[in-house]
Amino acid sequence: MKASFSPYLNALAPDMRELVERLGAHFDYVSVLCTDSVGFRLSVSRSAKSVSGTNMTTERGNVVRVCRDGQYSEFAFNELPGSVEALAEEIRSQLGRQLEVLKQSGVRAYETGVLPDEPLELFVEKETGRLPEREDMKTLVERFTALSDRGMELVPRALDCEITASSTHISKMFLSKNRFLRQSYVYTEGVCAAYGPNDEGEIRYPYKGVSGCGGPEILDGLDAALESLPKTMEELISAGKIEPGEYEIITDPEISGLIAHEAFGHGVEMDMFVKNRALGADYLGKRVGSELCTMHEGALCDESVTAYVFDDEGVLAGDVIEIDRGILKTGICDALSALRLGVEPTGNGKRENFAHKAYTRMTNTIFDSGPHSLEEMIASVQYGYLLCGEQSGMEDPKHWGIQCIVDRGYEIKDGVLTGKVVSPVVMTGYVPDLLGNISMASTDREVMGNGGCGKGHKEWVKVADGGPYLKTKARLG
Amino acid sequence: MLNRIIEQIKALGCTVWELREETVKSWEFYFIRHALDQNRVTEVRTFPVTLYRPLEDGQLGSASGVLSPTDTEEQMRKTLSDIYFQASLVKNPAYRLNDRPVVSPPLREVDAAAIARDFITAMQSVRESADADVNSYEIFVREITRRYVNSNGVEYTVRFPSSEIEVVVNARDAAHEIEVYRDFCSGTCDADKLRRDVEKALRYGRDRLLAEPTPKLSSIDVLFSTDDALSFYHWYFAYKTETEMIHCKLSDWTVGKAIAGNMSGDKLTLKAVAALKNSSRDYPIDKEGAAIRDRVLIRDGVVEALWGPRQFSQYLGLEDSFQAENFVVEGGARTEAELRQGDYLEVVEFSAFDVDPVSGDLAGEIRLGYLHRDGKVKIVTGGSVSGQMADAIPTMAFSAETEQYDSFVIPRVTRLQKLKITGVA
Repeated sequence: MKASFSPYLNALAPDMRELVERLGAHFDYVSVLCTDSVGFRLSVSRSAKSVSGTNMTTERGNVVRVCRDGQYSEFAFNELPGSVEALAEEIRSQLGRQLEVLKQSGVRAYETGVLPDEPLELFVEKETGRLPEREDMKTLVERFTALSDRGMELVPRALDCEITASSTHISKMFLSKNRFLRQSYVYTEGVCAAYGPNDEGEIRYPYKGVSGCGGPEILDGLDAALESLPKTMEELISAGKIEPGEYEIITDPEISGLIAHEAFGHGVEMDMFVKNRALGADYLGKRVGSELCTMHEGALCDESVTAYVFDDEGVLAGDVIEIDRGILKTGICDALSALRLGVEPTGNGKRENFAHKAYTRMTNTIFDSGPHSLEEMIASVQYGYLLCGEQSGMEDPKHWGIQCIVDRGYEIKDGVLTGKVVSPVVMTGYVPDLLGNISMASTDREVMGNGGCGKGHKEWVKVADGGPYLKTKARLG
Repeated sequence: MLNRIIEQIKALGCTVWELREETVKSWEFYFIRHALDQNRVTEVRTFPVTLYRPLEDGQLGSASGVLSPTDTEEQMRKTLSDIYFQASLVKNPAYRLNDRPVVSPPLREVDAAAIARDFITAMQSVRESADADVNSYEIFVREITRRYVNSNGVEYTVRFPSSEIEVVVNARDAAHEIEVYRDFCSGTCDADKLRRDVEKALRYGRDRLLAEPTPKLSSIDVLFSTDDALSFYHWYFAYKTETEMIHCKLSDWTVGKAIAGNMSGDKLTLKAVAALKNSSRDYPIDKEGAAIRDRVLIRDGVVEALWGPRQFSQYLGLEDSFQAENFVVEGGARTEAELRQGDYLEVVEFSAFDVDPVSGDLAGEIRLGYLHRDGKVKIVTGGSVSGQMADAIPTMAFSAETEQYDSFVIPRVTRLQKLKITGVA
């Protein structure tokens, strides 16, 4: 079925057209992004259950972007006064007050040209199995309760087993003088997690997620995900601590994705180039990884949680090859940064929601597959670890450091998994070394989209990342 | 609109409910160096609502959602009806909403223009140099107005300022350029503190240019002298005494029990406080209509009281709990100078210093540290710190002097003994 476009936004369109027109008399550029996204969040565990009609991406509101004399300003709002004329006046008045403060403070503008506004009309309703707003919540609650109960039976030492899910039906409309774009799609994600103590009383929590572009039918995958928890919990309970040092490592698709995201995902967000905050700007056309290292980025790369058709600045989604067989080819760019850098935008201008500024943000960040089997890769390791399960990561685009906290490391000695597990594992390193040492990549690959990504310590958006199993070297602690 | 929503809730036959009206007005300024990248105004009003349904066997159903000011009567009715139906599906042990009357404090005037001007002026006055300067900054000044009403007749309105500034600074020599990132939250602008903190970040940037790879150390005492310490004071100690964490068995801390055995170091005293000057969360009533009070949560290393959402607090038999927003950790027995004796590694920049509030695992990659060994100081970078809070608590030591970071007052320095260090040299 189609994920139908919001009737509310369709009804709003004439007023927003008028707003663009009225403001156009006073500004060099005017656009408006309008959102109306509905969904749910459900959490069921033995300790507590909750259901909400809101989640990370549900929203309804509008943001106007204007430019005059090279100065860009925005006004975000979710109420409409009596007339469009009054709204236009309010926007001009409020932004005018700000400019007065700036003038008093002696602030000059970072002058930027006028954004291009090539004519385009687009209306896309993506396919979905089901819609979150029409989901049979009674059945879903019963299913989650049964899953939680089963988790309690299966997982050793489980104190609780929590099943959570979010699903959002997104509708966005972008209007400017020459563009009228509308899109709607649904994405869904779910996680099952169990909690239990190890022998020292420290709580360990294996988890497994499912996600994708589609409706709550994606949550059917939670049954299989739950089945993986007992073994992981047993491993975490018995896990030891790693001896700090440099090791040969094989990363599972989740950790490969984390590396893609933290190492070169953030590192080639080109709004950072404008500020001279990313070392990547100096390495375009140069080698940053081995021949086996090819990395894609773009909303078109995968039907994931961030598979939109146009971004929050009205730029069509793309599929960019950032690293081609080890050579850094390009970055990703929002519309304003592209204008400042003299490059084409890549469809990566994203906002946390309508009330937030657009930044260059990742969508799907994915390593390409390679020619090896996982068995071959393990057999090639003299002494090292197979790293699985992500806890957290942090970027360092200016210095190309990387920090990944990994859930589990499986020891490999003389080409064989020994059965010894360590947890947690702090993986650190210098990105070009980490990518330059990629010597094997598996034939398969996986893309994951649970959770969110911040820029610095804020601006949370949905992203997805992944890749194949990769063999390289890293410092573990 | 609030009254219209209440009428519709009552028309559904719902007798237990709570409703908020949240209005956030924000002035934002984004700078590249000191040139204006963008200016933004936001005005957003929402109506978060939770509807409850008493169910069989003493259970209570509940579901929540958010209404928009642009909802038509029909949309509002449909949303509330859906929420009320979903409330019949999600069954939890019963609890009662707050019923103690609270008094709204006088509404504070928030002059966004003046606060923003203070931030801009403060940043313009930071002492920069050819080798260390400001890269970019983002200023957010918010006026937040919250009105709360529930079916027990509890209602209040608060208004407070909530500000944030993200600052990135650079330091450089002929071969390298260093970046230091900071994100400060506060009520309004404390210009002197902001200038001081940014200039300290510039100094750290210069020092990192001189840093050598962290040597292999095995283990050493680690000194925390920045807001990274909030990772354990806030995300570990405070949350271990939170009722939801305890009810959900993610924390086994209980009133009357010591937070660790054989404590030979400083014994922690952590308090929730009703008010904290210039905190971005300085309001006296929580989001469920409970008055926030001064309360000792941990005294001399022993849990004395808990805090948290009403639902989970009542499950633990606590009637007068609240959701704390501001916290104070009392200083320790020794001065900062005394804690800076002997061998230790002071880490002032991590990629991200994480303390897992559930497992107690702590870890972070070192971006800048000062290794004090044998009376000498070496500036180091690279490698990581890791450990376990359960192992660190018995011997932790913290200074008598304290420092405020937004909604937390914590000891100026904290020393955790013998954490594991992965060196790179």
